[in-house]
This record gives sequence, structure tokens and C-alpha cells, in this order.
Amino acid sequence: MSPHRRVAVTSPQTRLAHARRRHRTAWRPPTMDPAEVRQALRVYRAQRARAVAALGTLFGLLLGLPVLLWLTPGWDEVRVLGIPLSWIAIVAIPFPAMVVLSHWQLRRAERAEDTE
Amino acid sequence: MIAVFAVAPVVLLTLLVGLRGVAAIRTTSDFLVASRRVSPLLNSAAVSGEYLSAASFLGVAGLVVKDGMGALWYPVGFTAGYVAMLVLVAAPMRRSGAVTVPDFAEARLASTPLRKLAAVTVLVIAGLYLVPQFRTAGLVLSVVSDGPYWVGVVIAAVVVSVTLAVGGMRAATYVQAFQFCFKLVLFIVPAIWLLLQVGPQVRHEAVHPVEFTHFTRETPVDFGLEVTLLLDEPLTARTGDGAPLDIPAGEYRVAEGSTVVFPAGAPVPGIRGGAAPGGPDWQRPLLDPSHAGHPLLGTWAVLIATMLGTMGLPHVLMRFHTSPDGRAARRTAAITVGLLSVFYLFPGIYGTLAKVLVPQLYLSGATDTAVVALPSQVDAGPTGTVFTALLTAGAFAAFLATSLGLLLVVAGAISHDLVPGGLARLRFTVVAAAAVVVLLALPSARLDAGVLVTWGFTVAASTFCPLLVLGIWWPRLTAAGAIAGVAAGLAATAGAIVATLLGPPVSGWPAILIAQPAPWSVPLAFATMVVVSLFGRPPAWSQAAMLRLHLRERHDLGAGRGADPGHSSFSARRSSAARRILRRLGR
Repeated sequence: MSPHRRVAVTSPQTRLAHARRRHRTAWRPPTMDPAEVRQALRVYRAQRARAVAALGTLFGLLLGLPVLLWLTPGWDEVRVLGIPLSWIAIVAIPFPAMVVLSHWQLRRAERAEDTE
Repeated sequence: MIAVFAVAPVVLLTLLVGLRGVAAIRTTSDFLVASRRVSPLLNSAAVSGEYLSAASFLGVAGLVVKDGMGALWYPVGFTAGYVAMLVLVAAPMRRSGAVTVPDFAEARLASTPLRKLAAVTVLVIAGLYLVPQFRTAGLVLSVVSDGPYWVGVVIAAVVVSVTLAVGGMRAATYVQAFQFCFKLVLFIVPAIWLLLQVGPQVRHEAVHPVEFTHFTRETPVDFGLEVTLLLDEPLTARTGDGAPLDIPAGEYRVAEGSTVVFPAGAPVPGIRGGAAPGGPDWQRPLLDPSHAGHPLLGTWAVLIATMLGTMGLPHVLMRFHTSPDGRAARRTAAITVGLLSVFYLFPGIYGTLAKVLVPQLYLSGATDTAVVALPSQVDAGPTGTVFTALLTAGAFAAFLATSLGLLLVVAGAISHDLVPGGLARLRFTVVAAAAVVVLLALPSARLDAGVLVTWGFTVAASTFCPLLVLGIWWPRLTAAGAIAGVAAGLAATAGAIVATLLGPPVSGWPAILIAQPAPWSVPLAFATMVVVSLFGRPPAWSQAAMLRLHLRERHDLGAGRGADPGHSSFSARRSSAARRILRRLGR
């Protein structure tokens, strides 16, 4: 929630009328300040680079792990605490890795927005 | 009795929590996106609560019994979708200021036809997803209470539509967040109890699976649907009321609704298109459901469909619009990944235990009921009944939370995008849509819920995923390109569905690609959008429309804008001024 929320002071009837008519307003092209445009372009490029890196890691992990398990049928015989290693690998590798990846990406994406 | 104890508290709690969320609702935006004031933690609990449908609560464990350990890739794909959402979609989409996905399409590309097409796509996805939810609610209730199927369907529809029509998205948010905690407890506690209760012998068998070739004890199997059994040798079994039943060798058709009691030591009959659980293929951690001999391709196809499909699910996307700003939406996605990861540690436990205790479910195709069937196998006394009731309650909560979100996007698509109307019409649409879904769900008790939901994911992956990704990251996207891409994705998945239902049987890798078309239909939709857009010319404002999505919202309006005299005619804010700058910087 933003600290300074601006509230339009109108009568309930006016508010209702606005609400009813809002979807009929004509679409207007978006406008931006020149300063905002420069900054948006900078943020866009920074975010794009970070997104490509994060997405590459995600796809590498998720599409690579089945290949690894396919190439190493021996993992079915190796047992940790009695459980086949290949079964553990489907659960214990992807989920922690995705949690770490999402927090890493969250911090990087927020930092990219903060540098103004 | 179990049904009353399990379902009545869930229904009452849903209505109570829903009513707690009822607040003054005056505008469409209040109704559809809860006035955009939902904090990241609450929103991520609501997203997870909405997302953990029957497919997760019951379906994954059932798929483990049916298809093997590789079915654990489904939850990985379900969770990975939120990582992709965090990286690509969450924050920019929220900044568009849209309320629904069709709204976003119009805000970015200013095309009314695209908005209508997107609204129709929402209806297709929600229909594919919503009918199985209602159907499974009816089935689970009829199994535990011996009541008729339609009662469960109608109970689900009434609870969901009343909560929504009265409280809108705000009520749905509280209900879904509450039901996430509810489901998490009701999934984890019975899992731990089962593990402790089954004894070392079953635990050993669970991790050292042997192929299910002979019945170890006298086993009654209820055939809810007609099934063709394949027998190598004749077999004398009994019917449900004790009469002897001679089954000849070869193919034997079991009638719908009959019970067959197989004697101990008898060989397990085969079924068409399925392999007995526990075999060497079952133990491999890769997914090959159609036994096409390409486990790697099968696993990849499922991962791509679930991951990209999650990114395009309209009811999940709508939840992100309830965040106050783009950052909150992104944080919501990150927390959701953590919450789902905790939940998805447990379906494997249910699946491996069900393989040992109720492997015969694969004969009747009722593997979806494996989770609910487990407690009574472990403890025939009152404790087992209590845990059956707890799991039934969790499953029912799963239907309710998912149906809430889906019904809301259906209402939004109809009376916000297709035929824009006021608040009263939205409330009415919710009830009317619920009635239509009940009518659709009543004759579809025989449909396979997992297949319908997978199609829903595939349609979402090949329509909204490319629309959102290109709309947010590619300034040259045109409205014509977007329309062509969405239409191509819809046509490709519809073609694959028709081919699955009516087409000739195929084998090998084409079978995987027809049953699971995401690996080719998603690239096709992306390619169509790019190629058609490159032939056209994006309008002058399109780059600004895209860049705006990546700029942080200004909460301190007025500050840091010294040059702006404050009236709207300030020349530097015209789109031509922005374009001049972009031309200079964009090179």
C-alpha cells in the first residue's frame, strides 16, 4: 500500500456513474516524460539481461536433469537411507534449486529497478 | 457419515471466511481484483491455495501409481511455472493496470478484436479446468458417502457461486489463503501418520518396488467405468455379492459399476495401454505414459506444458493483478515458489505407499482415489476413518479454492471483456456461469480429469504465454501478430485434441507429440506472432507502451518532477516527445 493514497472526494452517485462509464472511455496512447523514457530504457535492458540469465539457468536445470537421469541408470541402484538416489534427485534437487533461483532473481530484479 | 464430517466443516469455514472478506464493493475493479490491496504474503498463500487443485492434492499420487516415479516431474513443472512468471511476467503485467488478461492485451496493443479473442480463450481454458473440478468434487463425495453424483456437484457449485457473488475477489482471496494452510496441514499430517503407521515391511516395499503381478490377498476391485481386462489364463473370481465368476482367457469386458473380487495368488490381468505398477519402467525417474519408448521426450513434453501453461493460466494471472504494485506482484511469485515447494515434497510419499497398499486401483483406472483410500488400508478402526475424513476435507477444499478463481475469471471474461457491464451483471454472471458448469459437469463423470486439465495447460501455454512474453519484452509486436499467434496456438491444440479423441492410433514419438502438443504448439504460436508482426508495422506509441511496463510505479506523485508545471498539456509529456527521445536512444 502506498503511504500517500489519493482519494477522490465525490458523492456516491458520482462514483457509481464513473464506475459505470469507465470501460467505455476511448483508449489513449501512453505518455511518458523524456526522463522517464531514458530510465525505462535503461531498466528494460538491465532486466532483459537478467531475465535471460535466470531463464537460461531454469531451463538448463529442468531440461538437463532428465538427461542426467537418463544417462545414469545406475543411480536407481545407489541408495541413500534406503531410497534410490534417482528418486531423491527428482524431489531434492529441483525444488531447493528453484527456491534459491527465484530469490536470487527477485533481489537482482529489484536492484535493477532501484538504480536510478 | 465421513462425508458429513469432512465436507460440512469445509463448506461452513469457506462461507464464514468468505463473508469476513465481504467489504463495500462499488466498482468492477473492487469485485475483480479486490481493489488491488492484497499484500504479497497473503496473495502468495491465495495463489498457492488456488493453484493446488485436485490435480495436485489427489492427482499426482494417482499418476505415480499409474505411470511411475516419473510422474513426480509434474509438480516440478507446476512450480517452475512460477519461477518463469517471476522472471518474465509478474511485475510488468501488473504495471499495465489491467484487470484481466484480455484487458492487458488491449492496454498493450489497443485492439478490441484481440481482447475478444483473448476473452474467448479464457473461457476455453477455464472450461477445460473447471468441469473436471466440479466432476471430481461430485465423484469424491459420492465415493465416501454413497450418495448420488449430482449432489456433490451441486454443493460445490452453490458454495462457490454464493461466496463469489457476495464477496468477489476479496472473499476469494481470504478463502484461498485460508484453504492453502488448511490443505498444507491436511496433506502433511496424514502423510507422516501413514509413514509411522504402515510398519517397516511396507516401508521397505515402498522403496524396493516389485512388479504387481499377483494379488497378495483377496482383493475386491470396484469398476466405476467399463474396462477391458487382458488375461493369459482363465481365472475364477467372485462378483460383489459372492457369486462365482469365471473369466476366460483373452479379452474380458467388465461392465460399468460392477465389483470383481480377485482371489489371493491369482495373476493380475493386464489392461490396454497400461503396464502394471512396480516394473522396471515404473521405477525409472522419467515419464513415458504412452509407453512410446522415448522417456526423455515424454518428460520434456510434460515439463514444457506444465511450466509454460502455468504462466498463461488466466485465474493465476488475475491473482497477480490484486497486488498493489509491480514489486509486490513479483514478490508474490517468489514466495509462491517456496510455498509450493513445501507442499510438493509429499505427493511422492502417498504415491509410493499407494503402489504397495492399493496397486489394484490401476485396473479400474480410479488411481485418483488412491490418497483417500490409503488410511483405511493402514488402520481399519476409527483412527483410519478420521484420517480418511481429513484427506476428503482437504480434497474438497482443493476443489473449492480452484473453482473460486476459475469462476471469477469466467465472470470477468464474459461481463468485463466480451459484453462489458456493471457490477450487478458481474454478480449475476458468476451464478449463471456456475449453473452452466454444473450442466456440463453432470454428464462428464466418465471423463478423465487429468487429461482435461492437461489440455487446459496446453491451451494456456500456446496462447497466453507467447502473448504475455512478447507483449512485455518485444516492442515490435503488433495486434495482427498477436491475434494470428493466439489463433494459431488455439487451432494447433484443438487439432491435437481432436486427433487424440478421433484420430487413428499412432505409436512412437508422434504419439507423445499428439497427446502432449506443447513442445511444438508453443514454438508455433511464438513463431506466428513474430513473423506476422515483422510483416506489419507497430504503431508509433508501441515502444512507449512496452517500456512503461518496466518502469517502477511512482507513489510520490509530484516530487522529483520539478519541470512539470502540473497540467496535462505539458509538451514534453506528449507521445511525440517520448518518441523523439527513443529514436535517439534506441539506436
